[in-house]
Amino acid sequence: MIKLEEVTKDYVLDQDVVFAALKGVNVEIKDGEFTSIIGPSGSGKSTLMHIIGLLDQPTTGKVIVREKDISKLNDDELSTLRSEVVGFVFQQFNLINKLTVIENILLPTIYARKKFDYDPKEKALYLLERFGIKGKEYSYPNKISGGQQQRVAIARALIMNPDLILADEPTGNLDTKTGDEIMKLLKELNDEQKITVVIVTHEPDIAAKTNRSIRIVDGKVV
Amino acid sequence: MNYFFLILKSAFFDFNRNKGRTILTSLGILIGVLSVVLLTAFGLGLKKYISDQFESLGTNNLRIVPGKPLQGGSFSGSVAAIRFDERDFQNLKRVKNLQFVIPIFTSSVEVIVSKHKESSTLYSTTNDIFAGLNLKTTYGELFTKNDDEKRSKVAVIGPKIAEKLFGTAQSAVGQPIKVSGSSFKVVGVLESKGGGFGGPDLDSYVYIPSKTGYLFNTDKKFVAFIVKAKDSANLEVAKTDLKSALLKRYKDDQFSIIEQTEILNAVSSIFSILNTVLVAIAAISLVVGGIGIMNIMYVTVSERIKEIGIRRALGARKMDILSQFLIESVILSLFGGVLGLGLAAVIVFFIRAFFPAYIDLQSVVLALGVSSGIGIVFGVLPAKKAADLSPIEAIRYE
Ligand SMILES: Nc1ncnc2c1ncn2[C@@H]1O[C@H](COP(=O)(O)OP(=O)(O)O)[C@@H](O)[C@H]1O
Ligand SMILES: [Mg+2]
Repeated sequence: MIKLEEVTKDYVLDQDVVFAALKGVNVEIKDGEFTSIIGPSGSGKSTLMHIIGLLDQPTTGKVIVREKDISKLNDDELSTLRSEVVGFVFQQFNLINKLTVIENILLPTIYARKKFDYDPKEKALYLLERFGIKGKEYSYPNKISGGQQQRVAIARALIMNPDLILADEPTGNLDTKTGDEIMKLLKELNDEQKITVVIVTHEPDIAAKTNRSIRIVDGKVV
Repeated sequence: MNYFFLILKSAFFDFNRNKGRTILTSLGILIGVLSVVLLTAFGLGLKKYISDQFESLGTNNLRIVPGKPLQGGSFSGSVAAIRFDERDFQNLKRVKNLQFVIPIFTSSVEVIVSKHKESSTLYSTTNDIFAGLNLKTTYGELFTKNDDEKRSKVAVIGPKIAEKLFGTAQSAVGQPIKVSGSSFKVVGVLESKGGGFGGPDLDSYVYIPSKTGYLFNTDKKFVAFIVKAKDSANLEVAKTDLKSALLKRYKDDQFSIIEQTEILNAVSSIFSILNTVLVAIAAISLVVGGIGIMNIMYVTVSERIKEIGIRRALGARKMDILSQFLIESVILSLFGGVLGLGLAAVIVFFIRAFFPAYIDLQSVVLALGVSSGIGIVFGVLPAKKAADLSPIEAIRYE
């Protein structure tokens, strides 16, 4: 579904000091996969994930989403594609604390261009129930536990019915038990709903739970 | 979930969290709107006040005065100042279709009762002045044509000066007053015409019969005539006839025949210009308020970079971010505008007790429109900055 060809990413640190975070990466994520991207800290995992998730563009190389080169897309088209294809889950949850749980989950829908063939609010309530946080819909994110926050973030990632969930160290801020629960939940989504899941992690234990691992070291896939 | 609901909720959450900052920022707009609306209200009030004053001076009146006072520089330039005399009075009286011709001599005088001294304007004129200017007495009588013939030393005085000199208007009747050294008997006290506020203080005038006034007017000249036509339809005809009567003696540019409405328009336009200038100056404070909003919106944007990044990751377009921050700055500005308008309304309400200031619909629409406009104009740069943030840098921002 998403293919990266010879992708590089340079960060300009100073006038002529350039840091190569990605050095020619070829990766293909296939429909329905449950994959991890593993590598030590600073190896370029997040950079890679942001490029896969259309948040960032490569310095050189191609990103192909569903057979389409996205380099020709403008900012609005990228935003729309991002909203319809990708759901992000972050290590720090990245919920908006001034909105309630249900409002956070529904936030992507206010930016949506597509017509919904389902009721997003119903879906949000269903997800909350499914994730065992029913009753928290009108709580504010900073008033619930980390595990619950990450569930809300996953519900938010799912609200648009994306094809791909990109999770950047989703268990990084959670204790082992809660982390395992989150991993189980992601696995279930993959099994039951055939949603493609890519998990970025530096922990081999987490990577071991996925079906495929892409190992990245110093900006290169090894 | 409603787009605007979530944007407004997020905006109000931030306003609430930063109450002090929000109020201070709105204060800039508040003061701007307050001063513009108040000044406009005063201007409107002044206009109304002036036209009321002229109305009270009687309509259908023509004033004949020397020079061209309504064309700037009354007696200046090459035109020699003229002063009207008895011969002019008689000539004018012969013009057809006039109700009356009233000769007027005025001078500034000091009026003394025992030790009490007040300055006043003395009108030496015929008894027709009372009908011509709609003057009536509250106490006592008006002087008569007979008083004029007999050069009686009687005076009809305004209620304000009566109160100043005698304590009450009523007690003035029948009492002697000294006007520039000569003794007069007060025969009547007039009804109040209002006034003051820089306009003529009509309630402090002293009226004496025209011929009696020759005491002070030794060369028997008049500064003006008030002429009333038999009816308003004859006003234009009367004007033409009066003009040809005067042209026998004077050149065209040595006198003017002015309708009340012309004076009204001239005075009003002077005040309008003055008011516009004041409002324009007050409007500068709106610009200052707008800069305050711009400043705070830049702060807000830099405080919420992470939030912007999250929204972008969730599919928000640049336009969505731009409108979110524009809406916030408009709310901020409109908030100040509404408060300013409300405060202006309260102040005007109290001022109305002694001055006819008022806020018209146009001011309301303008105040709200302008404050929204300021929100947009001064919000657009910060909002654009927010929208142009790279999503990835925004979300990585800590
Ligand atoms: N915006 C940036 N500017 C400069 N350097 C960056 C930026 N983002 C990431 N980097 C650098 O790129 C490298 C890879 O970063 P990242 O993709 O976040 O790694 P990982 O997620 O594997 O820890 C790191 O060395 C990091 O310091
Ligand atoms: Mg990372």
